[in-house]
Amino acid sequence: MTAYSASRRLLRRAAIGAIVVTLFLAAALRCDVRPEIFRQGLGQGPNFIASFFPPLWSAAGEMVTPVLITIVLATSATLLGLFLSFPVGLAAASNVAPAWLRQPVRVLLGVERAVPETILLLFFVVAFGLGPLAGVFSLALGSIGMLGKLLGDAMEEVDPAVVDSVRAAGATFWQTIRYGLLPQVLPALAAHTLFRFDVNVRNSVVLGAIGAGGIGEEIAHSMGMIQYERATIAVLGSLLVIYTAEAVSGRLRRRLLGAEA
Amino acid sequence: MLDVHALVKTVAGGRRVLDGVTFSVKPGEFIGILGSSGAGKSLTLRAITGLTEIDSGEVRFTGADQSICRVAHAKGAELRAARRQIGVIFQGLHLVKRLSVLENVMIGRLGYISPLRSWLYGFTDAEARAAVGALEQVELASFADRLTATLSGGEMQRVAIARAIFQQPRLYLADEPIASLDPRNAEGILKLLQPLAKDTPVIGTFHQPDFTRRFCTRVIGIRAGRVVYDGSPQLSHHDLNEIYGIREVQTA
Ligand SMILES: Nc1ncnc2c1ncn2[C@@H]1O[C@H](COP(=O)(O)OP(=O)(O)OP(=O)(O)O)[C@@H](O)[C@H]1O
Ligand SMILES: [Mg+2]
Repeated sequence: MTAYSASRRLLRRAAIGAIVVTLFLAAALRCDVRPEIFRQGLGQGPNFIASFFPPLWSAAGEMVTPVLITIVLATSATLLGLFLSFPVGLAAASNVAPAWLRQPVRVLLGVERAVPETILLLFFVVAFGLGPLAGVFSLALGSIGMLGKLLGDAMEEVDPAVVDSVRAAGATFWQTIRYGLLPQVLPALAAHTLFRFDVNVRNSVVLGAIGAGGIGEEIAHSMGMIQYERATIAVLGSLLVIYTAEAVSGRLRRRLLGAEA
Repeated sequence: MLDVHALVKTVAGGRRVLDGVTFSVKPGEFIGILGSSGAGKSLTLRAITGLTEIDSGEVRFTGADQSICRVAHAKGAELRAARRQIGVIFQGLHLVKRLSVLENVMIGRLGYISPLRSWLYGFTDAEARAAVGALEQVELASFADRLTATLSGGEMQRVAIARAIFQQPRLYLADEPIASLDPRNAEGILKLLQPLAKDTPVIGTFHQPDFTRRFCTRVIGIRAGRVVYDGSPQLSHHDLNEIYGIREVQTA
């Protein structure tokens, strides 16, 4: 008899469903969710939304610099993260780094990924003050957490015989990395970096709102000053940034990865 | 010029996968190593290049300047110096697929350029021309700029030979250079290796006694990590039985 049993799977799924529904109801009760709240909130909705219109088009000129700051912030954070995550990836790959180096690096990367960039920003603001520089460092560090791990994983997947064939020609460690390993991880490197770029662009708007400057700061500022019509322009600016970034990374992805994308 | 002496390697479980492999190579030889799967042919070649560490034994390689290098236990710069003089013809499918054919050939002389240079701009134009020369020898000069991944198995095998030629070694090692090739391509590869061996000895591993009979100057038979035959490539049924342990092996 095999472990394959339809009735057992059906039972297991029903149990999981029951647990999810129970947790949901418990959470709703605990947070004191009552239907009136929705009715009230939705009632105010139309008024609130209306206060964002018409957009304050005359403020568009003021958004150019913040938009550029956000783009530069996301781009430099991605590039810095990429350059630093390559050596980190090497240190995290079992076929490259010895265990005494790899294990602590993997643990550190895990810890780093567990800390949201918003928290990282708080630390960097203490060090560098409010502004884009603190934002660059938090996003770059966040990028290393992700790219370092993914690159390390990609390096562990390379064909060892190919790497050996380069070593056998008398290549040094770094030459073997350059000719045997790097070409094999290049597609993964490009794909993960472009994905991380999209993430960084979104996060740079969020971090902007809490102190990293750029278009996010304009949104937060306008909202705080109850200048909702101006906030609309700032939101449009951030949408433009995100949309443009996705278009650019999409094109790069197709160019770099071609058929593999 | 190459002395392989009493190579021993034990793997997990205490099995001796190399059990005293001994032979030496003289100029002008084209040696075919035969043996069934798992006999230790690849390991022997890997021990000669120091890619696999052995428990005991010695690999003495006499360099161009008559200097003697003990590859088996060498490290760092000394090991790299020995490797520069040994051209390994890997199976074609172990080329770096995402590099161009020319770059794969130039990897052969990576041991001669500084690590910094290999990261900055790689090889010079003169080196590139010389690499094209190596490709001409295997009749693939027109493939120089192709992405290696797009080549057929037979073409990749010839590129692997061009890489070793470009390295200008004092000894060639080839692990199953004709595996997974059709008979015509296999013959083509052996016809490339045969003249190379006139100047620079070639050691290859094979699974085809009929090919080693036609092209090699000497055959070494390995069975369970031991050399059980060393001599003429004209193997008798008795010799084949010694090497493969089965009477039914037919020679073509
Ligand atoms: N790192 C290792 N750990 C354990 N066993 C190993 C290791 N490397 C090689 N072996 C074993 O050593 C034996 C000899 O391997 P080798 O690759 O030399 O065989 P071969 O003669 O080249 O065979 P084939 O004709 O199939 O290529 C095999 O049984 C293999 O499983
Ligand atoms: Mg083998």
